Amino acid sequence: MTVAEHIETGPDTARPARPFPVVRILSWALTAVIVTLCVVPFLLVFVISFGRKIEGAAWVWDFTLENYQRFFVGTLWPDDVTFLYLQQLGFSFWYAVIASLLAVLTALPFTLLLTRLSRRTQAAWLVFILSSLSLSEVFIVMGWDILLSNNSGLPALFKSTGLTQWLKDTGWFQVLRDWGLANPRNVKFKTSQFATILTMSYLVWPYAVILLFPALSRLDRSQSEAARTMGAGGWCVARTVILPAIRLPLFGTTLLLFVFLLGTYVAVTVFAAPAQHSTAVAIYSNIRGANLNAPFGAAQAVILLISAGVCLALGHRINTWAEAR
Amino acid sequence: MRIVGPLYMAFCALLLALPIAVVCGAALNGGRSMFFPPREPTLARFGEFFVSEPVWTQALGNSVIVAVGAASLAVMLAWPLAYLLWSTGSKLSRTLAALGSMPFAVPPIVFGVGLGFFWSFFGGLGALWAGVVSHAVLLMALPMVTITIGLQSIDRAHLDAAATMGATESVTFRTVILPQTIPYTISGFFFVLVLSFNEFIVMFFVSASGYATVTLQIFNSLRNGYTPTMAVAAITFIAVSVLVFSAVARWGDLPRLMGADQSNT
Repeated sequence: MTVAEHIETGPDTARPARPFPVVRILSWALTAVIVTLCVVPFLLVFVISFGRKIEGAAWVWDFTLENYQRFFVGTLWPDDVTFLYLQQLGFSFWYAVIASLLAVLTALPFTLLLTRLSRRTQAAWLVFILSSLSLSEVFIVMGWDILLSNNSGLPALFKSTGLTQWLKDTGWFQVLRDWGLANPRNVKFKTSQFATILTMSYLVWPYAVILLFPALSRLDRSQSEAARTMGAGGWCVARTVILPAIRLPLFGTTLLLFVFLLGTYVAVTVFAAPAQHSTAVAIYSNIRGANLNAPFGAAQAVILLISAGVCLALGHRINTWAEAR
Repeated sequence: MRIVGPLYMAFCALLLALPIAVVCGAALNGGRSMFFPPREPTLARFGEFFVSEPVWTQALGNSVIVAVGAASLAVMLAWPLAYLLWSTGSKLSRTLAALGSMPFAVPPIVFGVGLGFFWSFFGGLGALWAGVVSHAVLLMALPMVTITIGLQSIDRAHLDAAATMGATESVTFRTVILPQTIPYTISGFFFVLVLSFNEFIVMFFVSASGYATVTLQIFNSLRNGYTPTMAVAAITFIAVSVLVFSAVARWGDLPRLMGADQSNT
């Protein structure tokens, strides 16, 4: 889904009768700039992914599939097989799927309520949402890190308010320990998948609101009112009128957030256990981190990009299929 | 049932504000550690961030240069693209718009890696200007959308009236099209400004430790633990975001810019 798809250029749109004479020159100049800056970087990643790392030095141009082999089955294949990098890709998918679903499911009722407010109140809410949306991942992770850290924040609050003791008395503490959310003495959120997914869904929650807002604000309210007049309850109206009407934007939003979250780096580094790190962390490690193996990092980036592309294409197919039915 | 909706909205707002409030509160700590609630509250960290500590003042300067530069360049790139799309609606313009928005639509780390390679080949790796160009390219999809909304909002009758009165295309552009799209152009500029100010991962790959913006500086400092001065940076960024978006809401139609139907008031 691209910006171009959102742009209406139908015959009813106001346009000048004839374009400027400079339009042709403009087109060529723009094509050159966009191909150079938007396409060439992706091509470079693709080409370098076939390069070869020289031990103790940098890398050289080549055409080897070793990097891809290493990603899928390890370097010692067929004598030995390792799925470490596939596992990392699996974690990327796991975090991204759960966090995007969580964000969309919780943002949907919020956005629906937002669209029913007056235009002025909507603008005030949007300022708040946009401000939190623009906040860097680094700041968000910092905030949640303080909130979830073992010596302060929520664990300390749980202890001081007696909630930890209550959890122990009622047996829920053992459940939290089984889930990896408590140590023998107190609840703990770092490191855990819970903290990782919570932060990631927080990261994209404002995006979910902003992406759902146009579709929900253009909903025909008369249909919901008609259903209510005919005796349908709130849940029935949501299930039979609202959800079918926004099925496409809902699905598109989830997909976009999913693709965005595939590249999350700081939240995973801080909140996930090293054994549960994602492909984005591995890419960083190879390009700028300890490993310094640019071709392998590029191969991982290509696989991440292809995975995202496949998911988007699959989503598009499912949508088309659902529309046809 | 009527109370459930507002309660849910309040709960969401609380959850959304929670980490922000914690970071803001932590900026007031007297010591070097981040506690919440803050201990020995002081405003000394603000002085360190804005005046006395060169690491932070330099990073702030770089952030401002990159954000303002990227926003200006993104608008300059997005304007002809949006105009071309609106005026011709050709296949080429649609393809260019799709390619132009591609960096924003893929995982940022992939584009960051690509730009890192790109600048290392073309000599811009670690240079501030390359950071400006990188952010402009990454974020130009935003002004492209806002400017296109502006162009689409132009009343056909205005163009016809100008043509009837003998205005040339360049005069129509200067006197009808441009004035009506200025608020949308400014909104696009501000969107890029704020997002560039906060962007981290692409800047991380293209700066190659040659310079640091504030978010990069914070990330680099994370290894040694958080300090209250970092939290001042967060407060600054939030303040800038709130100011900018409030201005957009005050002088523009923010719900419409976000895609709400014009008639739905």
